[in-house]
Amino acid sequence: MSAIASLFGNDYDADGFRTCSVTGLDVHRSVENHVKLYGLTAVIALAFGGIFAFTVAMTRWEFIGLLDPSQFYTHLSAHAWNLLIFWMVFMEIAILYVGGPMVLGKRLPIRRVATAGWVVMAIGAIGVNASIWLTETPNEAPLLTAYVPLPVSPWFYGAAIVFLLGATIAALPFFVTIWNATRGKRRTLPLVAFGAFITSIIAVEAILGGIAAFAYAFAWRVDLIASVDPGIYRQLYWIVGHGTQQINLLAMITVWYFLTHVVGGAVVVSEKVSRTAFVMYLFFINLGAAHHLLVDPGVSAGWRIWNTSYAFYGAAFASMIHAFAIPAGIEAGRRRRGQGSGLFGWLTSAPWRNPVFASTVFSIILFGFLGGITGVVMGQIQVNMTWHNTFAAVGHFHATVVLGTTLAFMGLVFFVIKTMFRRDLISNTLALLVPYGYAGAMSIVTLMMMYAGILYGVPRRTAEVVRNIPGSEFSFSAAVPIFMVFGVFALLAILGGALFIVVSVASLLFGDRIEDGDDAGLLPEGGLHADGGESIHAIELRGTFTLCLVFLATFIAIYVLNWYLVTQLWGIGA
Amino acid sequence: MSDPLSDPDDDWWESPVNRRETIWLGLAGAWSVGIFAWMAGFTQFGDQNPIGTTYDVDPDQYQERVAEYKEAAEEVDDGLVPPGDDVYIGAMRFNWDGLPVVLEAGTEYDIHLGAYDVQHGFSVRPEENLNKQINLQVFPGSEWVIPMTFDEPGTYHVVCNEFCGQGHRTMHGRFTVVEG
Repeated sequence: MSAIASLFGNDYDADGFRTCSVTGLDVHRSVENHVKLYGLTAVIALAFGGIFAFTVAMTRWEFIGLLDPSQFYTHLSAHAWNLLIFWMVFMEIAILYVGGPMVLGKRLPIRRVATAGWVVMAIGAIGVNASIWLTETPNEAPLLTAYVPLPVSPWFYGAAIVFLLGATIAALPFFVTIWNATRGKRRTLPLVAFGAFITSIIAVEAILGGIAAFAYAFAWRVDLIASVDPGIYRQLYWIVGHGTQQINLLAMITVWYFLTHVVGGAVVVSEKVSRTAFVMYLFFINLGAAHHLLVDPGVSAGWRIWNTSYAFYGAAFASMIHAFAIPAGIEAGRRRRGQGSGLFGWLTSAPWRNPVFASTVFSIILFGFLGGITGVVMGQIQVNMTWHNTFAAVGHFHATVVLGTTLAFMGLVFFVIKTMFRRDLISNTLALLVPYGYAGAMSIVTLMMMYAGILYGVPRRTAEVVRNIPGSEFSFSAAVPIFMVFGVFALLAILGGALFIVVSVASLLFGDRIEDGDDAGLLPEGGLHADGGESIHAIELRGTFTLCLVFLATFIAIYVLNWYLVTQLWGIGA
Repeated sequence: MSDPLSDPDDDWWESPVNRRETIWLGLAGAWSVGIFAWMAGFTQFGDQNPIGTTYDVDPDQYQERVAEYKEAAEEVDDGLVPPGDDVYIGAMRFNWDGLPVVLEAGTEYDIHLGAYDVQHGFSVRPEENLNKQINLQVFPGSEWVIPMTFDEPGTYHVVCNEFCGQGHRTMHGRFTVVEG
C-alpha cells in the first residue's frame, strides 16, 4: 500500500501547487492525482484487454485455432470493450483534466465529483465485464455492438449505461474549469485546452446517443416495450459506437499538439487554421458515424451519401489540415532554432531516442497513412460494399485506434510517468521498443488484416472460416499465407504491448526518483521556448510540404485501386 | 510566438498563414470535394451501387413469401430456378433460405433480401475470384430489393458476415450462374 501511496506524492507548496520542470505549467495536487488515478486505471484496462488480444488473434490465426466459438465471442467482446472503450475513455478523462485545469494552471473544481465519476465508471466497467463473462444461453456475447434483436443480457446494456453516466460525471469538472476560465471575459484558450474542449463536446453528443441506444435495447430486453427495430438501434448505437472513435481521434490530435511541442519543440504555425480544423470537426464529424449504415436497407442513398461523406468530407478535410499543421509545427520550431538544414534535416535530427517523441511521431504517420486513408476510402458508399464487415474493416480500425490512438497514449503514459510520477524509465532502450517494435509489428498486422479482407473477402467476427467452413466444401484457404504472416506479427505485437505494461509498471515501482527541476531528458535542445528567429509564416516549410504530397499521392493510389476493384464487380443496384 | 499551451497573441486571427500551408489547404480541399463528387456521380453513371428499395415486412410474412416463391420455382440439380426475375433469399440462423438457386448470366434479377430472426450479412463472391466480393446488411423487418446482373457464369458462394450466434461461421449458401 505504501508503494501505491508514494505514487501520489509530490512536493507541493502551501497552496498545493508545484511548477512542472518540463512544461513550466503550474500543477495543482488535485489535478495531478486525478490524472494519475484515471491514467493508472486506463493502463489496467489495457493490460486486461491485451490478454484477449492474444486469445482472439490466436483464434483468427487458424494455424493455432486457440478457442472454440463458444469461448471466442466472449473473448472478442472482452477485447473490444476493455481496449476500445475502457482503456481509451479512462485515458481521455485524464486528458481532459490535463487539457483543462492543468494547462490553465487551476485546481480541479468539484474534486469529489471527479472521484465519484471514477467510481461510477469503474462500477460500469466491471459490470460490463461481468455481464460478458456470465452470459448464458440463449443470450449471446454482445461483441462491441450488441445488435438487436440478437438476445444479449440486459445486465450488459444496464452496465454500459452506468459506464456512460460515469464518464459524463467525470467530465463535469472539466466543463466547470472552462466555464470559470472564460466566463465574462473575451479569452482565447490555449490550443491544447481548445482541442480538449471540442473533444468534450463531441463526447457529450456520443454519450447521449449511447444512453439512448442502450436504454432502448434495455427496455426491450426487460419487456417494457414489445418489439425493437434493428435499423433504429443501429442509428442510435453508431452515435456512440463511432462517436467514441471521434473522441479518440480528437483526444489523440490534442495529444499530438501537446507532445510534439513539449518534447519536439514544435510551435503552432497558424492558430487560425488549426482552430478552424477543430471547429470543422464539431460540425461534421458526428455525421460520419452514418458510414456504418452504408450498406443497410431502409436508409436512402442521398441520406447515406450526405452523412457518410462527413457532409462533403468536411471532417476529412479537417484531418488533412492537422496532417500538415502538426509536422509543420515541428519543422518550423526546429528550423527557427537552427536545428537541421536541407529538406528533412529538421526531422532526422529530432530526438528519435526519446520514446515519447518517437511514439507521438509514429502515431501521426501510421494513423494517417494506414488508418486515415483507408477510413475515407471505405467510407465511399460503393467501396463500402467491398469493405463492410470484412477483416479489412478490422484492419482499418486497428490502424486508427491502435497505431494512432493507443500509440499516442502510450507515449503520453511514458510522459506522465516522468513528469507527474517523477520516476525515470527503468530502461530507455526497452521503452524505445514500444514505438519501434510494437508499432512496426502492429503495422504489418493491420496490413495483413486489410489484405485478407479486401483481396480475399475474409469476414470479421468469426472463429473459423479460412481453412474450413464447417458443413461446406468452400473456404477461404487461399488466404492462408496472409494469415501466417498475420499470426507471427500479431504475436510480436502482443509481446510489444506486454513490454509496454512491464516497462510502465516497473518504472513506477522501481524507477529512480527524478529530482525537482530535472527535465528528465524530455525537453528539446535549447529548451521549451527558444526565443528569436524569423517569424513562423516566413519559414520555408519545404519538408512538411513534401511529406504531405507523398501522403496525397498514396491517398490517390489507394483510392484508385479500391475503385478498380469495385468496377470489376457484376452489376449491382438501381 | 505561438505555442499550444499558452493563450495566443491578441491578433492571432489576423496572422498570415504560411504560403505552403495555404497551398495544402487548396489541395486537400479540392481532393475532398473531388472524391465527394465522384461518389455522388457514380450513383448516376456507375454500375455498382448498394441502392435498392426497402419495404417494411413482418419477418413471419417474409418467410411465407419466400415459401410461396420456392413453391413456384422449378427445382433442378443445382437448386431452384426462379419463376421470373425475382429471387427471394431469407437469412436465418444458420442458413440461407431460398439458396441454392440457378441464375442466368446477363439477366437482371431483383434480389430480395430479408431475415427471419436476427441481423445477418449477405456476403457473396465467385468461387474462382475471391477479390470480387460484396457485403450487404440484412435485417428482420425489412425486405430489401436490389437488382443484380451477373455477367460471368460460375459458382458463387454466400457467407454470413454479421455475427448471428455461435453457429455463425457455418452459415454458408451458394448459387450457380449459367450462360444465358
